[in-house]
Parts: sequence; structure tokens; C-alpha cells
Amino acid sequence: MQNILVSLNEATRTVNSGSNKVTLLDNINFNVEEGEFISLMGPSGSGKSTLLNCIGMLDNFTGGGYTFLGEPVHSMKEKNRSKLYKEYIGFVFQAYHLIDELTVYENIETPLLYKNVKSSERKAMVADMLDRFNIVGKKDLFPIQLSGGQQQLVGIARALIGQPKLILADEPTGNLNSKQSEEIMELFAQLNKEGVTIIQATHSESNAAYGSRIINLLDGKIV
Amino acid sequence: MIKNYFKIAWRNLMKHKVFSLINIIGLTIGLSASFVIGLMIYYDATFDTFHKDKDRIYRVVTDLTSPEANFSIPGVTLALEDAISENSNFETVSGFYIERPSKVENRVLNSEFKWPNFVIFADANYFKIFNYKFLAGNTSEILASPNNVILTENRAADYFPNTKPSDIIGKTLVYNDSLHITVTGIVENFKERTDFVFEEFISHSTILQTRLRDDFLNKNWNNTNDASQLFVKVTSNADLSAIQNRLDDLAKEHQDEESKKYGDEQKFTLQPLGDIHFNEKYGIYDWSKGQASKSLLINLALVAIFLLLLGCINFINLNTAQASQRAKEIGIRKTLGSSRKQLIGQFMGETFLLVLVSAVLSLLLSRWLINVFSDFVPEGLSYELMKSPIIILGIAILLLLVTFLSGFYPALVLSKFNTVAVLKNHLAVGNKKVKLRKFLTVFQFSIAQVFVIATLLVGQQINFLLETDMGFKTDAIVSVYSPRAEREISKKELYAQKLRAIPEIKSISIGSHAPASISTNSSSVTYNNGDNEVNIDLQFIFGDVNYAEVFELDLIAGRTIRNDTVKELVINETCRKRLGFKSPDEAIGKTVLFGDQSVPIVGVMADFFQRSLRSPIKPMAYRGDWYQQDWSQFQAVHIAFQNESSADFKGTLSKIENVYKSVYSETDDYRVEFLDETIQRFYNREQKMSKLLNWATSLSILISCLGLLGLVIYTTNRRVKEIGVRKVLGASLLQINALLCKEFLILVAIAFVIAAPIAYYGIHNWLQDFAYKTSISFWVFLVSGLAMIVFALLVISLKTLQAANANPVDSLRSE
Repeated sequence: MQNILVSLNEATRTVNSGSNKVTLLDNINFNVEEGEFISLMGPSGSGKSTLLNCIGMLDNFTGGGYTFLGEPVHSMKEKNRSKLYKEYIGFVFQAYHLIDELTVYENIETPLLYKNVKSSERKAMVADMLDRFNIVGKKDLFPIQLSGGQQQLVGIARALIGQPKLILADEPTGNLNSKQSEEIMELFAQLNKEGVTIIQATHSESNAAYGSRIINLLDGKIV
Repeated sequence: MIKNYFKIAWRNLMKHKVFSLINIIGLTIGLSASFVIGLMIYYDATFDTFHKDKDRIYRVVTDLTSPEANFSIPGVTLALEDAISENSNFETVSGFYIERPSKVENRVLNSEFKWPNFVIFADANYFKIFNYKFLAGNTSEILASPNNVILTENRAADYFPNTKPSDIIGKTLVYNDSLHITVTGIVENFKERTDFVFEEFISHSTILQTRLRDDFLNKNWNNTNDASQLFVKVTSNADLSAIQNRLDDLAKEHQDEESKKYGDEQKFTLQPLGDIHFNEKYGIYDWSKGQASKSLLINLALVAIFLLLLGCINFINLNTAQASQRAKEIGIRKTLGSSRKQLIGQFMGETFLLVLVSAVLSLLLSRWLINVFSDFVPEGLSYELMKSPIIILGIAILLLLVTFLSGFYPALVLSKFNTVAVLKNHLAVGNKKVKLRKFLTVFQFSIAQVFVIATLLVGQQINFLLETDMGFKTDAIVSVYSPRAEREISKKELYAQKLRAIPEIKSISIGSHAPASISTNSSSVTYNNGDNEVNIDLQFIFGDVNYAEVFELDLIAGRTIRNDTVKELVINETCRKRLGFKSPDEAIGKTVLFGDQSVPIVGVMADFFQRSLRSPIKPMAYRGDWYQQDWSQFQAVHIAFQNESSADFKGTLSKIENVYKSVYSETDDYRVEFLDETIQRFYNREQKMSKLLNWATSLSILISCLGLLGLVIYTTNRRVKEIGVRKVLGASLLQINALLCKEFLILVAIAFVIAAPIAYYGIHNWLQDFAYKTSISFWVFLVSGLAMIVFALLVISLKTLQAANANPVDSLRSE
């Protein structure tokens, strides 16, 4: 039996929009086991991104229980929560979200800075990562000087540098052409084989097919 | 981490060059002003702080009050020292007397020194209060016997060049041709900043061999002289109020009958050592240095604070306005695990970097500023002072403070962004902060506006001061002063005689000072009209028969004096009124009493200003040189030129000087004063203030307008699309410009409304110093308000016109 990484129990998120209460996520129940590769599917506005953000602790569920590695996130203090996700979670975004003012090298290095990793270790880790993704030659370039696919590669490298257990990818190939998409998805599949748990939100059937399990969302509910 | 922060801070600086430049300029101006002004405050505040037990050292000073006027005298009556020397509250009492010898000779070297300054007659107690380091000489018997002198190292080097201190001991100097005085000690000059600039200490008992002998033998309670100084060092448990009571009792005990009759009182007070450098009332020993003025320092500090605040405000405004541009980076950093504290740290670091850049520029700039502001900067202040630890610490604290002031709020705003919203580009930030930015902009422009109005009004008053008719002729008159020791009238007469041969000279008079000067000579006179007695304090100008003609004094009734020495008075209108005469004619022929002498009034002259327009016109009389044989009051030859234009002054002046040299061939003490310059000098302080205001005004306008420009650039860039749409819909260039300018002009207008009363109040207060002043005119407010708006409009239009002119196709296509 694999470890349960994420466990959602009737997780709900509602927001107030004016006087209306809008339910974004409605009683979501599912478990993620370590080593899984889950694809969240559904049309725009179905709640994929919200679910990812909540799992990634950028947003909070407003109701229900959320347990991460056996720890109850829903009753945790902000400080511990941020410690948890700093340690175990990496993000990959549709729009890459690299820091424009930093070079490739520095962008990959940043998460380590926030984890207070020593300088010499950082150097080694970043060098490994650059090596692994074949972007050593680009390490001194700024994001603007890279193609979309390359930027996403850096984004993934940055998400991986902290050696997270879980990678949350929100439409990671949404801004890429099909060839670049394929490369990125191959990479995810490879990473998954190496033991990284991945949850991705996607529109594309073909991308979803890389996953080991598909969860369909519609209007905030699992269908 | 830090390295990473600084890297990104630097890249951000370079990316937004215009904004960075605006921020740096603003902060640099503020910091430079703070550095220079801080240096000045430090310089002045560290005078005489090195003395041992400095808190226990006091100077005894005298305040004379009478119904007429108050005088503050840094000295005390000679009798006081003996009266208090036994008091147990005092550890040491040291009186000394400042007296400039006319000549000091070193007959061995055949060298002669005229009028050496900073010579005092002192005793061993002086050296008990002030610790001098003896380089040579006996320290156990300091100035114990008459005819001894201690020299400072510097003075010794003048009198005995290239001689070792120990070799100078025992050498003889001859003072005033007759006093043979032996050098018994050489002391080191104080190395720290001090107002105790004395160079020669002659043993106190020697004074009985000088012209002051009688004064010291018959010490008089009613005679007070600046030169008679008294210092005390109180015991460590001294009761200061008991001392003051004792001093008050002494003053009361020794009040003479006449003083009682006229209500004259003298009061002795202890002036703390630390107060000497600042208190203009009592002055310092070296007049040429100019005294530190607390009010000037406070004004300067205010200017520095305001400029610094303006710089900080620019920073806050531009950074919060730009916040949305940084939002994405903040969001990403948060997802990568940055805490809010770390983000605040990062932004504070960025601010600090900017402040640091400004500080480096300011350090370079202050070196130059010290020269520009030489009017304000004390002479001895050098840039080297920057190296003193307190200043370095002060600068460090200032930099941190400025960083905090300008950086903290933007850092809070920036770090608050919601991660998810930012990353989804759902940004509504910036708008909430608009109110604060508006408030700060109004604050900035209020300060600038106050400065503008104040500058104009002060300028107006200075103009008024300089243009107001003094009541006598001030142009084309020079006064040539006789050599300082020279009291002989015959030489002056000879000089005047020779001058008459110069055709360019219209008239010549021998007299005391010009009608308006900073010196006064006054005495109390009494007039008895049969019913009651009037006692007034009457000021004098002394002159020969031509005096009224040279200065074109306006005689209203009677005649001028008949000759130089006849005892007659020509009084002014104020005096006439104070003595109770109804008309000028009524005064003619009446006599007033000088002690026991009665002197007739022979003429009445129109009032003129005896000093600056700060002081009201006082009772004054023009009189001759009554005691010419014993003590002549005449010390100058006043010369009126034929020609009013200054074109050929030069030639005439050199003729005047040549004649002087032929008459006073043995001295080289030629002193000439232009009356119009003397009058201008009355207003040195106002001129300084005006210069300061000019700087403050231009700098505050510069900083504020730069800040405004920054805001305009930012908002205009954000509204590019709106401008494009409006243009497509047919708006004209002017309409768009008006739309963009409107919101900013409203702010400037509000600032004016706030600033006007503040400026009015401030200037109104300032004008109270003047007995004669212009009225505050309202057009000044109007003009300065309009000028500010026009100025702001220009700055705003710089950007808005460009935006309005842009092709809408470009701005719309990018969407």
C-alpha cells in the first residue's frame, strides 16, 4: 500500500461575490497516493485551478478537511502551512511565471534561498538541475530571451529544485505549441516514473492521457 | 540571499531609469542638505565641550535694565570679583581683563607687532578653570608676580620665530613702549573647537602699570565693561539658586542713588559655558568668527528635514504607484516559499540601496555645497569633520531612518498582494492607494508653496529695507577712519584740509560715526519744564559744523552748531516729542541737563534712521566734540562726492588714500567705509535668510515637480488605451490634455489653499522683528499661486501632450 499524500474530505470552497454566495468547489472527496500522476479535466470555470491552488495552499478550502501527509492542513497556522508547502510542493504555471529580473540560474536558485540552503549546496543543486534539463548554456539568459518551451522547462526545473513530493501543474502546456507540449509532457511522465507525484490541470485529452488517473470536474463537483 | 536581493534591486533600478533618477535626485538633495546642515550643527554644538568639569564653569554676565532700554553685557563690574571670591559655592573665581596693547616689541630681534589681539590680563585661577598644556615654564607659580606673560605656542612663534619653547622662557617683550614683561610660560593652543581664543596672558597685577590703573584701584560698582570678564567654577554640590540670590543681593546693595531714582537696575547672572557659543546677547571673544545662531541652525535644520521629507514622499508615491508592475514578481516569490517578512526585507533592502546611492552622491555633493553656502557655514568648518565618529554614526542612523521612512509603507503595500489574484492577473491594486498619494502630493506642494510665498515676501521686505529713505544722504559718501590709537584732532584737520584740494569732493566733515551705524553713544539727560522732570536716554552723533551739510540732515527749526566745541545740541523730532515740546520752534533755546551741566538746544532736525529699520527711531542729538582736548569723539573724516555716479569713484578714492598716506605716513591702518555698504550690512541676516529661502524654494519645487512628473508618467501610461479610444472617438489634443492635467492641478490648487495661511502666519511673525515693514500684499499670494500652477502645468504637459499626441492605432493594437 502506497502512502496517502493528499486526502480531501468533503472539501468545499465558497466565495462571496457581492451578495451572492458562489460555490467554487463543492464537497470534493479524493485521495492522492504517492507516485500517482493525476489529470484534472473540465471546462473553463469548472474549478480545476481553484482546486490546485487550494491543494497547493495558496488558497484555502472554506469547509471540509484537507490532510497532507497525515497532517491536517485545514486546522494549521499559516506559518506551519507555508513551511509544509515550501518543503513538499512545487508549482508549474501556464504562464511560466518566471521572475523577469532574474536570470535562468537565479530563477532556479530562488526556492533554495527561501529554504535557507547553504551557498555551496545551492550551487551544486542548481548545476545538477541545469545539467539534467540541458540548459547549462542558457543559465545567464533572462526569461525574455527564451522561447516559451524553454521558459516552461526552467519553470519545471525551478519547481523540482526543492525536491518536492508533489508537483502541481496548472495547464503547463497551455501556452505552448504541440511539439513543445509533447516534450514537456514526456518530461512529466519521466519525473513521475522517478517517483514524483504530479497533479495537473488540463483541457487537452492527449495531455490527460499521460496521467495514471483522470478526475473530471464540472461546476466545482467531481463527475 | 542578500546578494540576490541587491542584484534584483539593482536590475530594478536600471529597468525604471526615470523613476530611479527622480527618486535619487530627490533623496540626494535631501541628504546633501542634511549632511551639510548636520555638519554645521555638529560643528557648533561641539565648541568648548572638551574642558574638564565643563558643566561647572560659568561666565558671570550683566543685564542692565532701565525704563528706556535693556543692555546685555558679557562683562561685569570690576568690583564683583572681590565680593564673591570668598563664597563657598565657588571652587575657583577668575576675573580677567581683555586689553589690546597698541604695540609689542621683541627688541632683541628688532621686531614690532601692532595691536596684537586676544591679549588678557589674568591670574593663576584662569589656568585652574581652563586646563592648558604647558610646553615650557614653571607651572607651580603661574603668573604670580607682575610683568610676567604666558604665550600660546602660536603667539610665541610670531614673537620668537624658530625658537624652542624652553628657550623663550625668560625672554623679555616690551609692551606699549614702556612695559618690560618676561615670558614665564608657553602653553599649547587648544586643539579642539573653542571660543577661548586668547593668545597672551599677562599677569593680572601688571594692569596697575597701565592706563587702567585708576579703574582697578577704585573699583566702581556702577561701571561695567565688556572687557572685564569673570569666570567661576562652582563646587560640585553648589546651590545655584543661592548663588543667584547672592548676586541679586550684591546688585541691590550697590545700587546708587541715581539708578534708584531713574529705575535703572543691574542683574548679574551665570552664563553656562555651553551657552557662550550660541548666545548672541553676550557674544564671543573673536567677533570676526561670527556667532552660532540657534535660530539660524533651527531654520536650516527645518529646511533639511523638509527637503528630506519631500524626497521620501517621491519615493513612496512612485513606488506605490508602480506596485502593480512588481506584483507578478511578488506573487511568484510567495509561491516559491517567501514569507511576507522576507518580502518586506527585500523591498527595504532595495530602498536602502537607493538611499545608499543617493548618500554616496550626497557625500560628493556636500563637499561642493560647503563652498556654495559659505555664508552660512562657519569658517573653521572643514569637510574633514565628516570623518568624526559621531558624524559617521549620525549619517548611518539618518540613512536607516530615511530608508525606513520611504521604504516601509511601499514594502507593506507590495508584500500584501494576494498571490492567486496576482498570478491570475486579477489586479486591482494601486487604486486604493491613490488617496494616500494625493495626500502626499498635496503635502509636497504645500511645502513648496509656503517657500515660494515666503521667498517673495521676504524679498519684498528686504527691498523695502534697502529702498526706504534713511532720512539723510547715503549715496556717494565715504568715511575714512583715523588710525585706531590716534586721538589728535590736528592730524584730522590737516587731513581734511588737504582733501579739500581734490576737486571731486563736495564737502568734508570730521566727526564720529555716520548718522546710521551699529555703534551708539548715549547718555541720560533731564529736562525740567517747570512742572515736572523728564529723563530720557539720548543718543549722540558727534560732528563738526559741516556734519549736517555732508549728510544733508534736514534742519526743521533753529540752526546747526556754531563750532566744534561749543556746548550746543541739535535734537531730532523724536527727542523733541519725548521732551514734551509741542513744536520744533518751542524747543529752540530751552536747556537740558547733563548731570550738572545745562546745555541749550539750538536746532531741531528731522528724524532719520539711526540703525536698521528693525529698531525704532530713538531720541538723538547732534553735537560737537565738547571735550576735544582730553578725549576726542571724532574718529573719522566723512567725505561727500561731487558726482553721484560711481564711474569716477575709483580715481577719487585713490586720491583720498594717497592724501591719507601723506598725512599718516607712519601707520598702515587705512580704513574706509562706504555709507551705502554699511547700511546694506545692517541687513546681512535678512540677505542670508533670503538666500536660504531661494535655495529651499528652488529645491523643493524641483523635488516636488519631479515627483509630480513621475506620477503623471505613471498614470498617463496606464491610461494609454483610454486616450487611444477617446482620440478615435474624436477628442482633440487639448481636450485630452485638459483631462489628464485636471486631477493634478486640483492637487496643486488644494496645496495653495493650505499653504497660503501658513505662509501668511510665518511671515507675519517674522515681520514683527522690524519696527518698519511693508504690508503683506495679497498680489504676492496670487502671483505665487498662479506661478505654481503654471509650473505644474508645464511639468504635467511635458508628458500628457506626448501621450495625447501618440497615434491611437499603436496603443490599441497592443491589446
